[in-house]
Amino acid sequence: MNSAVLLSTLLATPDSGSPGFDLGKMMAIIIASIFVNNFVLARFLGICPFLGVSKQLDSAIGMGAAVIFVMTLATLGSWTVYNLLLVPMGLTYLSTIAFILIIASLVQLVEMILQKYSPALYSALGIFLPLITTNCAILGVAVLNIDEKYSLGYSLVNAIAAGIGFTLALILMAGLRQKLELADVPPAMKGKPVAFLVAGIMSIAFLGFAGLGG
Amino acid sequence: MAEMLKVGLILMLVTLVAAMALGLVNSRTAPIIAIQKELAKQKAMTEVSASLSPGDSLAFDSLSVAGLENPYASCDNTLSVVRISVPPDTSRIGYVFIAYGKGYSSTVQTMVAVELDGSISNTTILYQQETPGLGANIVIPSKLIEKFYGLTASEFLLTKDGGGIDAMTGCTITSRTVTNSIRNGLEVMSEAGLFSSVEDSADDTSEPAAEGGTE
Amino acid sequence: MSLIKDLTKGIYHENPVFKLVLGMCPFLAVTTSVENALGMGAAATFVLICSNFLVSLFRNIIPSKVRIPCYIVIIATFVTLVDMVMNAYLPDLHRSLGIFIPLIVVNCIILGRAEGFANRNPVLNSIADAIGMGIGFTLAMVVLASFRELLGNGTWLNFNILGSAYQNQPLLIAILAPGAFILLSFILGFSNILEQRKGGRQ
Repeated sequence: MNSAVLLSTLLATPDSGSPGFDLGKMMAIIIASIFVNNFVLARFLGICPFLGVSKQLDSAIGMGAAVIFVMTLATLGSWTVYNLLLVPMGLTYLSTIAFILIIASLVQLVEMILQKYSPALYSALGIFLPLITTNCAILGVAVLNIDEKYSLGYSLVNAIAAGIGFTLALILMAGLRQKLELADVPPAMKGKPVAFLVAGIMSIAFLGFAGLGG
Repeated sequence: MAEMLKVGLILMLVTLVAAMALGLVNSRTAPIIAIQKELAKQKAMTEVSASLSPGDSLAFDSLSVAGLENPYASCDNTLSVVRISVPPDTSRIGYVFIAYGKGYSSTVQTMVAVELDGSISNTTILYQQETPGLGANIVIPSKLIEKFYGLTASEFLLTKDGGGIDAMTGCTITSRTVTNSIRNGLEVMSEAGLFSSVEDSADDTSEPAAEGGTE
Repeated sequence: MSLIKDLTKGIYHENPVFKLVLGMCPFLAVTTSVENALGMGAAATFVLICSNFLVSLFRNIIPSKVRIPCYIVIIATFVTLVDMVMNAYLPDLHRSLGIFIPLIVVNCIILGRAEGFANRNPVLNSIADAIGMGIGFTLAMVVLASFRELLGNGTWLNFNILGSAYQNQPLLIAILAPGAFILLSFILGFSNILEQRKGGRQ
């Protein structure tokens, strides 16, 4: 396969054969993934880190950055393996196992590289990286991209937008929870229960974005 | 080094065994899945097309009509149309096609039976993953799709978009995607010359040319 | 005796959802109907039992350095198995659980039990633990799903309970995404109150 052909295959939607980007569609994907189908508040992906790392604003930002980073790389890896390896060999039923291995080894690799070459970034993101392997948002975006038959370009756009959506929800939540620390919450609702209540109210707000599509 | 090699080998062995086990199960389940899908499609096709000629057993021939401009990537650019006839007479009595449209949270697939004059005879939702309680109500015929019967492509617009079909309350997106995807399909079929006006439908010698051919 | 204890602890005292707050993603996502909750519960319990069994069986052979990747491969294998079998024999359920079947792989309950229990306990205890945790997870999902389906759609396990008059104007929010968060919040708060009452009495 020469490079021009390879490039056009990568940019094309697997089953339509039409190469390139459609700006309108790209915007639709971005808005849908950040707001309308927000990964945390509408699709329920990545709830564990959403609750676990939203107590402090700083750590929320760090976690968000780490997720966007790994999500993009994982999408690149999973899309390539799926469309250039599993599909031609008729092994698509191995996709779940392949994706989770890609994500796990990617997280490990990123951790090692950061540790060696960028200690500053490592100390900022390092503690969040091991948590990311079991963040279902990462595997979720990989599986969704395949389900939707997105081209590599759209898949990456979707991954970045999903990561931004996750980060947005996380940061909003962290801000609210910092205020909540000072509030007078009934003892039975302290901690997780009130966090879920806040998430529910945020989710109602995000429901309003549904109108954006039409 | 030897330690790493050993660890690597064990990991490889685990993965290999896993892949082999899955391959084995897949070889058993894959044919069943394929048959199930085909059966479900056949069943839907029989049910949806029964309205065209009630009581008769019908014959299905696949046509493939190129050129459906689908704005979404979730289906290919050809429209698969099935020609319906009553054997042994081979003259067509109508068509069935599947419309794909991107809804609120899924690609909604609608199977549509069309009369020869291009009006809708029957529809059924094949697949949807819309919000339960809202968009998912699309599967209840009285909510929306019953309003389609007897309409042709030009009448296929929601009231909000300047047409005459009332959307389901609270779920314009799902209603719109289904309506528009069916209109798209009808327009493609009309351009391919599949529809004839009622008068000349008796004259069936001039079979309209459709790309892809019959099987 | 310890077998029974391992079996029952997952159902109440260490309930994975209400006490440990694990496995939240599928818990919130598939509880739109009791039927989905039961299906997801069965799938997750099956994977949990199989992975706990294998992890416990090979706990002395798997080198500790690569144990997590090994567990992930084992779990992913059984998840794919469930995926394929469900697709072949229960296509409707497979369809409505959708993306959350492959996502059982990253359900923290399963990896958590492999790493936290099966890793250092005998095979029988590990299986008992898996069954208990599986039942606990399923029960918790059924509880939330009952509220959501009843309030949001007027039905329970597809049986019409509240009548068609209610179904025309149901409390729709319960079945939508916010309803899952809010109802779970109240359930957790309620279980805290129960816990405090019990603590106060002792």
